[in-house]
Amino acid sequence: METATQPKVQSQPQSGGKTLALFLIPVVLLAGVIALFLFTNGAGLNVEPAAPIEGLQFERTILRPDQIEFQVQNTSPQEITVAQLIINDAVWPFAISPGHTIPRLGRAVITIDYPWVTGSPYFIKFFSSNSVPFETEIEVAAETATPTTGTLLSFTLIGLYVGVIPVFLGIFWFPALRRLGMQWMTFLMAVTAGLLIFLGIDATSEAFEIANEVAGPYQGVGLVGIGIVATIMLLDAISRRQSGIGRTEEGQRLATAFMISVGIGLHNLGEGLAIGAAYSIGAAALGAFLVVGFIIQNITEGLGIIAPVLRDRPAWVNLLWMGLIGGAPAILGAWVGGLTYSQPLAVVFLAIGAGAVFEVVYEIFKLIQKDSAKRPMPITIFAGVTVGMLLLYITGLLIK
Amino acid sequence: MSDLDSISRRKFLKLGLGAVGSIGAVGVLGSCAVPSPIGQTTGGVAVNLYNPHNQHGGLAMPMPVGEINYQANGFNPDDILTDFDYGKVSTLPNGQTLREYEVFAGVKTVEVMPSVNYEAWTYNGRVPGPTFRATEGDRMRINFLNATGHPHTMHFHGVHPGNMDGVYEVIPAGERFTYEFDAEPFGLHLYHCHVFPLAEHIMRGLYGAFIIDPKGGRPTVDREYVMVMNGIDLDFDGVNDVYAVNFIPFHYDRYPIKFKVGEKVRVYLVNILERDLVNSFHLHANFFNYYPTGTSLTPTEYTDTIIQAQAQRGILEFSYRYPGKYMFHAHVTEFAELGWTGVFLVEE
Repeated sequence: METATQPKVQSQPQSGGKTLALFLIPVVLLAGVIALFLFTNGAGLNVEPAAPIEGLQFERTILRPDQIEFQVQNTSPQEITVAQLIINDAVWPFAISPGHTIPRLGRAVITIDYPWVTGSPYFIKFFSSNSVPFETEIEVAAETATPTTGTLLSFTLIGLYVGVIPVFLGIFWFPALRRLGMQWMTFLMAVTAGLLIFLGIDATSEAFEIANEVAGPYQGVGLVGIGIVATIMLLDAISRRQSGIGRTEEGQRLATAFMISVGIGLHNLGEGLAIGAAYSIGAAALGAFLVVGFIIQNITEGLGIIAPVLRDRPAWVNLLWMGLIGGAPAILGAWVGGLTYSQPLAVVFLAIGAGAVFEVVYEIFKLIQKDSAKRPMPITIFAGVTVGMLLLYITGLLIK
Repeated sequence: MSDLDSISRRKFLKLGLGAVGSIGAVGVLGSCAVPSPIGQTTGGVAVNLYNPHNQHGGLAMPMPVGEINYQANGFNPDDILTDFDYGKVSTLPNGQTLREYEVFAGVKTVEVMPSVNYEAWTYNGRVPGPTFRATEGDRMRINFLNATGHPHTMHFHGVHPGNMDGVYEVIPAGERFTYEFDAEPFGLHLYHCHVFPLAEHIMRGLYGAFIIDPKGGRPTVDREYVMVMNGIDLDFDGVNDVYAVNFIPFHYDRYPIKFKVGEKVRVYLVNILERDLVNSFHLHANFFNYYPTGTSLTPTEYTDTIIQAQAQRGILEFSYRYPGKYMFHAHVTEFAELGWTGVFLVEE
């Protein structure tokens, strides 16, 4: 087919201007239809809603002594005017910047001087000029941590504890695991695949959950799809290019290990983001027990990173890099989450993490496929994947 | 606190926001008037007693922000306070005094809080409707026009024939009806629409006070004020959002009612609140004589707080010994903080 059509196309090289015109005709018609709709108020359709549709997204609530600040975004199809505020059954004066009327997708900061009490819940109801209510809630009032060098240090420590340290602890198993036989190494790779599948499902579910809270125009579910699919396609393309370069099997295993650490790193980025956001508003009582739980669960991630290269002798620098790539993003995530939290951004991070994890699972199965081509061991693989998933399930019990 | 126990790795996120996002609510007021810009001042000067930036210091208190455009509303609670409608007076052949009133029911977008527009149903374009005032035994003739798209009536509390009761004789959109009856018994009464669903028709604004003076009148006083206590369910979710006397929350808080030390004051207090069981009135730094339903000239109680259930009403009489700013408000204090609060400014 291609060879048959090619000459035809080449036989009309002079039609550049004509092609452009042909492309433009529908565009011109489209402009005409839009104009018709705009100037005739729907061209026969009654497009005026019976009631105004208004939406106000509460992005962030900051509590300071005797003061509460709400950062809001207008997510309605038109501008809205924030007229009055009621907090815990009292009409309360407020200041709003830049102004009471917020343009579509515009943001505003609302401040009230209110003698709130630590530990109490607060229900806040705003009314727009059309008497449309918007509600938000402070579940447990506590002063919001202000980003100082002290809190930055705290975020760094959180990232270290939940990301870097456990991943490296896992990697420290390298010398011990090297002594295992071939079948055990395959089993461990299957375990890694199981771990990653579990994390991927978890991240996907979480991405969808936040996607539902994201303001309508941002199309949270669409962001999840784009994040997952684009990440899978990109990593797959990179991996195909590398295998096309003509690497040794050992080189491919090292590359897979690095990709696992990238996947886990992206996953930990999302994790850090979540913890940072919670910590910054004081909502997270990040108890010692919880941190221990994170460390135990994330050790398995380090284990997963080294599984493909157990039979090789990777330079220790490589192991160091893998650990950093896998763990350090938790620090970055904690910073970003703690200092500026944005739901659409969180969705994108989680989706990228999920996509990366799924792609890496695919890479691991390719490696396992090569091994089992020499010696089939379906039960080992089944057991490995299941154990991997159960491992995260059981360690998850510690922190849920 | 169980939230903290159940924190999971990602469950942090939900807490992390510290707020539940409110997604696209659908408004109920279709074709609203253009809201007046917040901060626009119209008529009078607000005595903003609790503004943190004024001389009274940073006393944090409940208060709306902005100003209401009363001109656009077409009525002002200041006027409603003292606006008694005696009707067009004539004498019937039998010597009875005839009072004729023209009343229409209408729909009006009212700015009930600064920049908050509410589609009210009104008698004569205001809420509460006109305060009808007659003397016991007078003939009342109320020519009613229903100028809305819904059926409405006028149901008077008082003694009258069944077909003048405004319940079963529903007046369809665009139709007229004349209510005619003798004003009795003397006291403080009320009227409201009695079309079902009742709560909806009443709370939208179809109500008002109806005063029947005893023959010879009540003892003379220096000031007489009408106060109709109400609630407003702004978003029509079945729960009152704000409360008021004479419809506009916080009005007499921002524009205090002024009179002088020693002046005798009489308040006609009516409770038309729907969807809450009781309302109340508390007078600061003073006591008053209370005449429930106003059907006696002898007070039943000397107190500073009374409660009224739905459609209960009574007359309060008092005077102030010292100058100063004195609050009056519902001692159902959440009503007070949601708008049912005012100030008497007593001057030398």
